[in-house]
Amino acid sequence: MRITNNMLINTMMLNLSNNLNRTQKYQYQLATGKRIQLPSDDPIVASKALKLRTDVSEIQQYKRNTDDALSWMEVTESTMKQITEVMQRMREITNQAANGTNTGDDILKIQAEAEQLRHQLIDLANVTYAGRYVFSGYKTDKPLLDANGNFNIDILNSEQIKFEIGIGDDINVNVTGSDLFNNGTDALTGEKSGFVDVFDRVIAAMGSDNKDELSNLLGELDSQMNNLLRVRAGLGARMNRVELTANRLDDDYISFTSLMSKNEDVDMAEAIMNLQNEMNVYQASLATGARVIQPSLVDFLK
Amino acid sequence: MNNTTFMGMEIAMRGLYSSQRGMANVAHNVDNVNTPGYSRQVIRQEAARPLLVANSAGMLGMGSDVVGIDRIRDTFLDEKYWSEVQYLGEWEVKSTIIDEMQAIYNEPSENGYTKIISDFYSALQILSTDPSSHSIRAMVMEKGVAVAKYFNSVAKHFDHLQEDLNNMVNAKVSEINSLADQIRELNLQIYNYEVMGNKANDLRDRRTLLVDKLSKLINCSAYEVETGLRLPNGEMETRFVVTISGKALVDHEEVVHLKCESRKDKLNFEDINNLFEVSWEDGNKLHVKSGELKGYLDMRDGNDGLMGLNGEKSPDFKGIPYYQRKMNEFVQVFARTFNEGIIDADGDGVLDKISGHVDGYTLDGNQGIRFFTMLGSDGKPVSSSDFETFLLDYAAKKGIVDDPDTDYDERLLAGYGLLTARNFSISFDIESDPVNNIASSTQPDEAGNNENLKSLLGMRHNPYMFTEGMPEDFIKTLVSSMGVDGQQYMQAYKIQQGITSQLTNRRDAISGVSLNEEMTNLVKYQQIYGAAAKMIQTFSEVLDILVNRLGL
Repeated sequence: MRITNNMLINTMMLNLSNNLNRTQKYQYQLATGKRIQLPSDDPIVASKALKLRTDVSEIQQYKRNTDDALSWMEVTESTMKQITEVMQRMREITNQAANGTNTGDDILKIQAEAEQLRHQLIDLANVTYAGRYVFSGYKTDKPLLDANGNFNIDILNSEQIKFEIGIGDDINVNVTGSDLFNNGTDALTGEKSGFVDVFDRVIAAMGSDNKDELSNLLGELDSQMNNLLRVRAGLGARMNRVELTANRLDDDYISFTSLMSKNEDVDMAEAIMNLQNEMNVYQASLATGARVIQPSLVDFLK
Repeated sequence: MNNTTFMGMEIAMRGLYSSQRGMANVAHNVDNVNTPGYSRQVIRQEAARPLLVANSAGMLGMGSDVVGIDRIRDTFLDEKYWSEVQYLGEWEVKSTIIDEMQAIYNEPSENGYTKIISDFYSALQILSTDPSSHSIRAMVMEKGVAVAKYFNSVAKHFDHLQEDLNNMVNAKVSEINSLADQIRELNLQIYNYEVMGNKANDLRDRRTLLVDKLSKLINCSAYEVETGLRLPNGEMETRFVVTISGKALVDHEEVVHLKCESRKDKLNFEDINNLFEVSWEDGNKLHVKSGELKGYLDMRDGNDGLMGLNGEKSPDFKGIPYYQRKMNEFVQVFARTFNEGIIDADGDGVLDKISGHVDGYTLDGNQGIRFFTMLGSDGKPVSSSDFETFLLDYAAKKGIVDDPDTDYDERLLAGYGLLTARNFSISFDIESDPVNNIASSTQPDEAGNNENLKSLLGMRHNPYMFTEGMPEDFIKTLVSSMGVDGQQYMQAYKIQQGITSQLTNRRDAISGVSLNEEMTNLVKYQQIYGAAAKMIQTFSEVLDILVNRLGL
């Protein structure tokens, strides 16, 4: 084949441009740490990258949700712990009042304490978390009980606040006031709380010093206590589940971010080697190009 | 007949002339080494017409004669080049434009669609853990605005790109017309020279170069047709014809231009107004099969072969209208599902009615409104109630009535056809009062009820929302299929680059100027010039003997 000067030059230019294109690719990779710039560089990597981004962002969100769920539940749990303490004290003094060795003065003191405990119980039923009433079901903006121990709102056991802690995975974070304070049955506005009612009857029995009644009421206090323990156990089990999920989400987060990195981040060692390789080729082609295109017969004619 | 006294000198002088001509030709070639389209020329040298010598000594050589200058060219390679370079032009345009389109989506990145839609759903999730919070409600509104703005911005960028492409179409058409005019001029000049039997080498080079350029712009073929007449030197008279899809653009001295006219009816619903339709100036329809023009037209008009509004089929190619259509489809389904809860919830291929934003209750106990609406003609978001009127009007225009057997209102379903990525927006109500208008509850007056939000959140994971799957899948599919296309165009472009550069090389191998060769020729002609001069000197000495030394 006849080789002409322009062919040499064109070929050299084309090859240099190809070299530079490849060099630029590795330069981009090293400068950004990413394997691709546009989806067309590698559509599969791009498509995976989008999927993993969504996954990671969802995991982060579910993690936030589990944190929120846990703090809500912790408030509920610690409140119920206090209610348990109130209950225990109530049972103690009821027991004391039911025994025949008290003077009238003693009974009055016991009754005064019982009233304080009743007051405390109502306060605990209206406890808030970040301004929201935790036992009020969906009506988080309204207190559960009024000062008389009557329900301030309609409350149903079905008013379960659910947080999403995984795709299609909901956790019920609240304890409804009806479940805890009304023996597990739905209540309407104005209805007397079953829990407070027992307290009221205890206080009334103390007032009339009715020892038989007080003994009977001990049994009712126990059944309220059992109800309370049932609800606490249920919440504890749910908290347990949320904690497990939170741990799993932590693990998922690590494995998904590392997947994401594996998918789209550059293997630096490899990229540096590739770049070095390209640089060598580039220099070689510059060197040969410079040698080939310069001389012609013109240089040798005297 | 005897030798004449000066015959030897005459012969030697012809040698001088021939080698001079040769050197001039070398100079011409060397000067044009870098001239685009130039093909090297060689002189055609023959032994001059010999003299018949009477005393039967045979024919007496009379030296050399330059009878012509030829251009070294392989027209087969030219035609081959023309047939390949048109695809180079087409793929070059397509692979460049699709890169621009990919950049518009800005994926994968930390601020593309995936991020924006994730943020929106995250905000809803956060609200679901505290539905009574005023500040989170404001955040949900902001994230909703970001979603709408993202689609507006992508659509706007596509619109701009389409306008740019339209201008490019216009520019390319003018370029084609200008090339046609230049070819016509050259046709006339070449014809005028060659009618005398010469070859207009340099002019032919220029004309071939123009056809090279034209071929990159549009599919064309160029050839010489014999007219049936003969030139004075006995060769056939030819005319040069350039055709596009069989119709002559240039026929010797006649040119039919192409023209760009604004379309009265849009081709695609998604198009911007007043795109150019390219046709022949004489009103005939133009079939563009390849070349840069085809690249621009496909990118500008391609809607996957969908039937256009003006009755013409759109190019069977995924251009801007296709991606606009997909984006419109997304916002329609997304808004319809989010607002109305009309979605195929169980994947049986039939739409169902689940709890949408309108079915919920707001913080102040009112029935929910539409979260997403559209931008009105003044560019401001319209309210939910106005939007409902628009939806029903649109459906009425299409003649849609409600089918009482379904759980949802067919008119609303059809009405969402009026949403586009361009006019997608959150509703005026949400924007002006997000605290009271976001419907998170399924019952009035339940501040902590997040059940409606959970229904809305559930849609994100509904694989039947789009044929492509979940909302994220839709865009993922769109972006990655664009990526695959981009990769394909780039490959096609590189292949075409390889083919054309190989053809250019082959053309250069034949027509290109080689400096070594020219220098060799230069030395050759120089030596001959010297030798011929020496001959003259010798003859001169011989004559000197004859004239001066013979004592008379």
